[in-house]
Amino acid sequence: MGQITAQIRIFVLTGMVLTVLGGPGYASMPDIGGFFEFDFGAKVSDDNTKKDSYNLLEQRLQLKSSYYFEGENYLSDKGASLNFKGDFTVDEYFDGKTGFDLREMNLSLTPFDFMDMKAGRQILTWGTGDYLFINDMFPKDYRSFFIGRDDEYLKKPSDALKMSFYPSLGNVDLVIAAFEPNTTVKGDRLSFYDSFQGGIAGINSDRDLYEPAPRLSNNEYALRYYRGLGSNELAVYYFNGFDKNPTSYRNEAARRLFYRRLDVYGFSLRGPFADGIGNVEFGYYNSRQDSDGDNRLIENSMIKVMGGYTKDFGNDLKAGTQYLYEQRLDYDNYLSSLLPADLIFDESRHLLTQSVVKLFANQTVRVSLFNFYSPSDDDGYVRPAVSYDLNDQWKITLGGNFPWGEDDQTEFGQMKKNKNVYIRIRYSF
Amino acid sequence: MKTKIIILIVFMMFGCLNVAFAEELNVEQIVEKANIAAYYRGADGISDVTMSIKDSQGRERIREFRILRLTLEDGGKQKFYVYFKKPADVSKMVFMVWKHLESDDDRWLYLPALDLVRRVAASDKRSSFVGSHFVYEDVSGRGIEADTHELIGTDEKYYKIKNIPKEEKGIEFEYYFVWIDKTNFIPMKAQYYNNADELIRTIEALEVEEIDGYSTTIKSVAIDLERGGQTTMDFTNIRYGVGLTEALFTERYLRKAPVKWVK
Repeated sequence: MGQITAQIRIFVLTGMVLTVLGGPGYASMPDIGGFFEFDFGAKVSDDNTKKDSYNLLEQRLQLKSSYYFEGENYLSDKGASLNFKGDFTVDEYFDGKTGFDLREMNLSLTPFDFMDMKAGRQILTWGTGDYLFINDMFPKDYRSFFIGRDDEYLKKPSDALKMSFYPSLGNVDLVIAAFEPNTTVKGDRLSFYDSFQGGIAGINSDRDLYEPAPRLSNNEYALRYYRGLGSNELAVYYFNGFDKNPTSYRNEAARRLFYRRLDVYGFSLRGPFADGIGNVEFGYYNSRQDSDGDNRLIENSMIKVMGGYTKDFGNDLKAGTQYLYEQRLDYDNYLSSLLPADLIFDESRHLLTQSVVKLFANQTVRVSLFNFYSPSDDDGYVRPAVSYDLNDQWKITLGGNFPWGEDDQTEFGQMKKNKNVYIRIRYSF
Repeated sequence: MKTKIIILIVFMMFGCLNVAFAEELNVEQIVEKANIAAYYRGADGISDVTMSIKDSQGRERIREFRILRLTLEDGGKQKFYVYFKKPADVSKMVFMVWKHLESDDDRWLYLPALDLVRRVAASDKRSSFVGSHFVYEDVSGRGIEADTHELIGTDEKYYKIKNIPKEEKGIEFEYYFVWIDKTNFIPMKAQYYNNADELIRTIEALEVEEIDGYSTTIKSVAIDLERGGQTTMDFTNIRYGVGLTEALFTERYLRKAPVKWVK
């Protein structure tokens, strides 16, 4: 990869060098933890993907460790740690393909009392939604989400430098990251609506996803200011980078999609509300390459608003609901720019979610249901799961992914042939 | 010589009077002293906790965590920071509580694998703490104004107090008795009864030690007599007055655990 990752590697390397400079002060070997797991997801519908009977069959070994610097040296003095997390995988879906997924490799330290820093590969999250993201523009892996891997894998790592400042009037986070797209569905494992194929496509999909070139000017910047207001938390966000999904067309004839430039301005508020927790979040998505909305190939600017509420009913029963509203801006310009054969997206979209979690048997059994439902798209996605901790090491999870939809091109409707039921057996150590 | 005797007599009288005063502590004073003795020792405190959770079939699970506690006002607001070490699947998870008396507590959970700070609804203080037989209130303290108190007995060692919740909603017991040590005001035993006057749950302090001048429960057990099962809690590396600050109990340290305090 180019300069951007190179820069970040420099940070990691710097960390390594500093480790050596840290001198002979360190002694203890860091603890290694992790898990081994087996996942199988049987498919209950057929489509044109590589396999008809399953879309998840893999083994995974995760190792993680943190090393805390010790002794009389700069890094120890600044509370520094080196953090590592990596997954070794054997993916039977791709005929036993082995892989290594480096999820974290970073140096974390507090150079000043008013500042923290994390450099290297890391997972980044902010915002207030539950599976819904407005101002969290960090990369996500929706393929993992739809086949039923653990929630952990919905978040994809970023190669980034995160600096957090803590002056007295609130806190500021600044993230500089190399572009990393969302892992989206592409037809081999999960089928989806491919506009070039004019319908739900599998391995016949031959889209070309064109990523921004890895150079300095294509770095992404994410900024968050947040502060507490009594029991409430207020945050203001700014993002300057790219859409993480390939929503725009670069070259129709070549079936090439690209990740458009995107700025996001937003805020959120979260706190106690009506005997539960309430949250609201807003975001304005500025489509810089189509600011008037009259380019039919590039997605328009948008506003997104979300409200949520969760309540604890006692006896380990919790429930939550969310409402998300999205509106395409400059819709008239968009309509008048379309060609006769083009798909027409709606001006607005309404999405509701409901979730229930109930724990049994001293919290060793967890029964949960998460439901997405869009009345405007007439589609949805049901995610039930039951897990059981046999003991502190073994855990079994049974779950399902049931996207559905009236139409083929809506967010969940296009996924309707990927319904699965999965089992996960995990041994933690 | 005479004066000395007189002084001695005066001292003895005052001494007696003191004892008499102590005898005459009213129930609210006793409960208040017990609350301070149990949950407000020192301006702040640190402890490692090992929980052994046994279900009705004797299967054991272990939870290990470090608790940081800061008292903002004696008998009132406190902040807690709980850093999990074991088991592996919750290691480095952080649970933070701002305890209020007049309103619901504020609770946050940090999930390191997702770098996610989650706000946790906290209206139910009677639910199990991390799957153990202790409930949130056992760990952070049940507000003394939540119950009416009646001193129903005193022997040479304990005050026995009957407590009846003022608000029944979400409370699994009808009333409970607490035995409070007369010398140090540590609650040594609590017995919870249901509306059929059946004993459903007990908590007992198994070992109490003097640490930094504070009588401290270092081992306690909660027993569920309804469903069976029990949890023992062992406290080690206890320190008081270490200089924790309020800044520690913020999102900053949820996301980046303070190495100095959790190592």
